[in-house]
Amino acid sequence: MKDIMRIKCLLSADIEMLLNQQIKKEAHSSAMYLAMASWCNQNGFDYSSDYFFKQSGEEREHQLKLFKYVLDMGGRAISPDVNGIKQEYTTFREVFEDALDAEVAITQSFKNIAAACMKEQDFVTFEFLNWFMKEQREEEYKARRALELFEVIGEEGTGRWEIDKHVNKIKYDSETAGA
Amino acid sequence: MTGVKTKATDRFTEVFGTKAGTVYQSDREGCWYIDFAGKLVKFDYRTLLLLKKSIYRVDIEQLLLDSSKSPEIEMVFICACNHCYFLNLLQIIALKELLEGTFAMLELNQILHDRLSRMVI
Ligand SMILES: [Fe+2]
Ligand SMILES: [Fe+2]
Repeated sequence: MKDIMRIKCLLSADIEMLLNQQIKKEAHSSAMYLAMASWCNQNGFDYSSDYFFKQSGEEREHQLKLFKYVLDMGGRAISPDVNGIKQEYTTFREVFEDALDAEVAITQSFKNIAAACMKEQDFVTFEFLNWFMKEQREEEYKARRALELFEVIGEEGTGRWEIDKHVNKIKYDSETAGA
Repeated sequence: MTGVKTKATDRFTEVFGTKAGTVYQSDREGCWYIDFAGKLVKFDYRTLLLLKKSIYRVDIEQLLLDSSKSPEIEMVFICACNHCYFLNLLQIIALKELLEGTFAMLELNQILHDRLSRMVI
């Protein structure tokens, strides 16, 4: 008897499900950053708003990258429902705290998928995930650095104005960045 | 009529069967035939997975506890494949059992293929 299941699709049902969940998470991140861009813009933090607009676009690209991978492997990619996006923030700082929390959660999520790939020896998907692992290094770095500005610069006086100006300049370009 | 059926089943491999029904695979057509609830329905890769999803999604326990409906009430399943089943609760349980066995066998088949014919040394 032919192994039609395998001929049609490289992904196991479990991995396909995990990737679809990740697609939803990336869509959620994209929408979250867009809401942050809106809040920052409304409150006069123009540089931060730009930064979050860019982040939102990147998350959308992550979503599509995963989406196309599932399709390329013969799987069923599901366009996700996205809801429950937080629109209001109490402080400027809270926006960055949420951003870092979200990135940490995404890194954990990718680690879980990689662990599942290892377990069932799906080294093809495992290798595909490498790109995201490296991306998460940068994403977490940037989010952490942004939050640190609140300590380094301080929020008093023109502090927030200063922080806002620096957010857009954060770059992950240390020695390990290229490796 | 019987002749046609025998001829058709020759090309089929039985994947899994219960008292309630049988699932066959056609290697030539790359699809499956489910003999259940009095009809033989063809499913391809995509629609078989859709059927699995719609059956597994049914909360059987909740239906059993739901006193507002009598168990004889038939339910409709549209599985996006030009076919629908009208099933009562017992038939849903039976179809789920049939599909669970089928997917277990298909998984086993994959393991066999991996171990026996896809050996790369
Ligand atoms: Fe992302
Ligand atoms: Fe991200």
